[in-house]
Amino acid sequence: MKLITAVVKPHRLDEIKEALQAFGVHGLTVTEASGYGRQRGHTEVYRGAEYTVDLVPKIRIEVLAEDDDAEQLIDVVVKAARTGKIGDGKVWSLPVETAVRVRTGERGPDAL
Amino acid sequence: MTDTDMRNEAEDSGPSGYAAARLRLLTEETRPGPPRRAALAALTDDWLAGLFAAAAHNLPGASLVAVGGYGRGELSPRSDLDLLLLHDGSAPEAVAALADRLWYPVWDLGLALDHSVRTPAEARRTAADDLKAQLGLLDARHLAGDRGLTTALRTEILADWRNQAPKRLPELRDLCAERAERQGELQYLLEPDLKEARGGLRDATALRAVAASWLADAPREGLADARRRLLDVRDALHLTTGRATDRLALQEQDQVAAHLGLLDADTLLRQVYEAARVISYAGDVTWREVGRVLKSRAVRPKLRALLGGGKTHLAERTPLAEGVVEQDGEVVLARTARPERDPVLPLRAAAAAAQAGLPLSLHAVRRLAAAAGPLPTPWPAEAREQLVTLLGSGRPTVQVWEALEAEGVISRLLPDWERVRCRPQRNAVHVWTVDRHLIETAVRAAGFTRRVHRPDLLLAAALLHDIGKGWPGDHSVAGETIARDVAGRIGFDRADAAVLATLVRHHLLLVETATRRDLDDPATVRAVAEAVGTQGTLELLHALTEADALATGPAAWSSWRASLVADLVRRVGALLAGEEPEAAEPAAAPTAEQERLAVEAFRTGGPVLTLRPQADPLDEDPAREPEPLGVELLLAVPDQPGVLPAVAGVLAVHRLTVRTAELRTLDLPDGFGDATVLLLNWRVAAEYGSLPQATRLRADLVRALDGSLGIAGRLAERDAAYPRRRGVVPPPPRVTVAPAASRHATVIEVRAQDAPGLLFRLGQAMEDAKVRVRSAHVSTLGANAVDAFYVTALDGAPLPDDEAASLARRVEETLRG
Repeated sequence: MKLITAVVKPHRLDEIKEALQAFGVHGLTVTEASGYGRQRGHTEVYRGAEYTVDLVPKIRIEVLAEDDDAEQLIDVVVKAARTGKIGDGKVWSLPVETAVRVRTGERGPDAL
Repeated sequence: MTDTDMRNEAEDSGPSGYAAARLRLLTEETRPGPPRRAALAALTDDWLAGLFAAAAHNLPGASLVAVGGYGRGELSPRSDLDLLLLHDGSAPEAVAALADRLWYPVWDLGLALDHSVRTPAEARRTAADDLKAQLGLLDARHLAGDRGLTTALRTEILADWRNQAPKRLPELRDLCAERAERQGELQYLLEPDLKEARGGLRDATALRAVAASWLADAPREGLADARRRLLDVRDALHLTTGRATDRLALQEQDQVAAHLGLLDADTLLRQVYEAARVISYAGDVTWREVGRVLKSRAVRPKLRALLGGGKTHLAERTPLAEGVVEQDGEVVLARTARPERDPVLPLRAAAAAAQAGLPLSLHAVRRLAAAAGPLPTPWPAEAREQLVTLLGSGRPTVQVWEALEAEGVISRLLPDWERVRCRPQRNAVHVWTVDRHLIETAVRAAGFTRRVHRPDLLLAAALLHDIGKGWPGDHSVAGETIARDVAGRIGFDRADAAVLATLVRHHLLLVETATRRDLDDPATVRAVAEAVGTQGTLELLHALTEADALATGPAAWSSWRASLVADLVRRVGALLAGEEPEAAEPAAAPTAEQERLAVEAFRTGGPVLTLRPQADPLDEDPAREPEPLGVELLLAVPDQPGVLPAVAGVLAVHRLTVRTAELRTLDLPDGFGDATVLLLNWRVAAEYGSLPQATRLRADLVRALDGSLGIAGRLAERDAAYPRRRGVVPPPPRVTVAPAASRHATVIEVRAQDAPGLLFRLGQAMEDAKVRVRSAHVSTLGANAVDAFYVTALDGAPLPDDEAASLARRVEETLRG
């Protein structure tokens, strides 16, 4: 199993959700996150004072997937998240040892 | 008798018999509620009495006592059995054996048991150390054994409680307050704890304890019913969950409602909230009464005689507003107040109470509810301003609003309130009922009043933004219609009503757009700009959005959301600024009367003024008392330094508050040279009672202008004469330079809490800074002053940027002073 994590622009959430649903993913976790990448934030003027926004609002999406689906899933997320502008975000995956569905105790792929 | 014999004897009426009867009773659907609780208690009584008789072998000097809820004879299906085995200490071993034979059968049945074994002296000592034990013992009831022992303990415990009430009632109050802090308020929580939350069963028990102290008593209307309702709900909760839980969790609510034969979970919660309101309101009133009684006892008669010169103690009454005074830490009606002839009085009293951070007395609220006549439609300006003041008072608003609400005053003032009252929200993000959420939003919004140019609209929008909940369809859409209607009725003009309607319609727009749409897309920004319309509305919507989210619950607002919303607002603001025409400096042509006064001022070289009661064009009913307090002051004076602080100061000295003020320079018509006259057109109101005469005002004004009237000193003297009150802590004042508002002058914007002499201090600060005030637009919106001053340097040119900024800073420092 793989854990796929995507940190993307907040407004892409609906598209990503729809794309994942269409792909057959039933569950995902979303958290509000802030961060920066290569763009290093930006400078803003707010109420007359100039300040540097070094952390940009993002959302972090986490999905568990079977090994065979992982690559395809990553592509689905990337496609749905892309706007072509700076700050579109990143997607990565990690191997997962175990997953358990708490209610039933099912393990492994059954728990997805 | 052998051990086996005893067992056999116990078996007849014994555990299996009791368990079966108990099960029958609980599954029998025919008579839930108080009869079932009493029957369950009676059944348990009989069983325990049987156990005791079988185990005690007529042991002298021992009795079994029910305490706490069981002592009151109210057993819910999963209630603990609170039992005390009382003994005289003569045979400790026999008592220990007896205890074993009592407790084990209870445990064996799987019932929760709260038990103790004590002598009367030990029981009293425990009660003295532990308030909860004391409260339990107040409800002690004899079950079996030596009746004399139980009766003696009961008598002693009650006597102790009465004797020590002055010390222990404050302890109990602290306990209740601490619990409320921890558990929240039953009447507003969406997953409330029926027992521990404020207004729950424990508070009802505490009120019984207060009554048992003979020191004060709770208002009894509906209290017993409210308690019964909560107990019924708890019974149903115990039966549907099969657990001894008191928390009415979301997932249980439908089942509990069905069990009680109610339509749905909303109906259930509404009943729970109504009951909790009765209990917590009774609690507020009772604890205040306790405080008053204890305070009056604390000052010894002798000492009082010394201090008061032997006169009988008369409660001190301090005036707060027309017809409203403070007495003993409560707000009451003045002796001269006539609620039946003064329809604004409920709002005025509420606003004064909230501003002073004091509760409204029960008596005052009842009198207002019973006697105050309906307000005309649209409301007079004073009523609207008082409502805004009430809403803008921050935290103290809540208790005052609750008091009005409990007596039905709010629903009478705002009939649309009825629909959101006690309305639960099925939503994981919200923690409050709709009505409390609206008030909480106003409380938060009160902290943002310096961020907007129209605090009154912000506060009204906070109160109304979810008013559409409970109607079919999108609540924002339904709310828009209602808000427009309400705004008209409470006396906002058409333009303001339109802004309010927009705010209500779009109160979720910023958050939804900021978190879900692409802010880099110009179409997103344009769509929001079109919906919002103007910079002013955008500013209001931004503040409303944040207040709304903060009042929703901990999950609804975060720095993450705040930064997205701020970003959106900045972008929309930039777009609107580009499209909006520059605000023109208003300069209406002077009326004939203004011109006449100006000419006269020029001739006499001194101030000329007229005072005229404000005509209310909508009021054509001659029988109604005219709104007594507002007048229009028209004043002309030859242009000279120091006019603004002098006029403002004289008015403050005469206890007149300035509601709106316009000041401008007027060039006289041809034939008078190039002399200019300052023309002031102000709406003022007397703080108390009647208005001073125009001649006296003029005389003082002449002295103020030539410097022989020490205004600052007089005002300071008057401030010192008033007792310092806790009151509300308003947000700090803000003074800013409005960018590019006028080509001819620098515009200084001031947003501050209104206070006596505020305008005087502002005027003085500008005078000290050696700038000329060319015109001023002062408005008081509820308790907030929003002022704009057009100032120039002495040579008539706008101030350079750095000087303007330093002026704003100086004025702000003066206000914070």
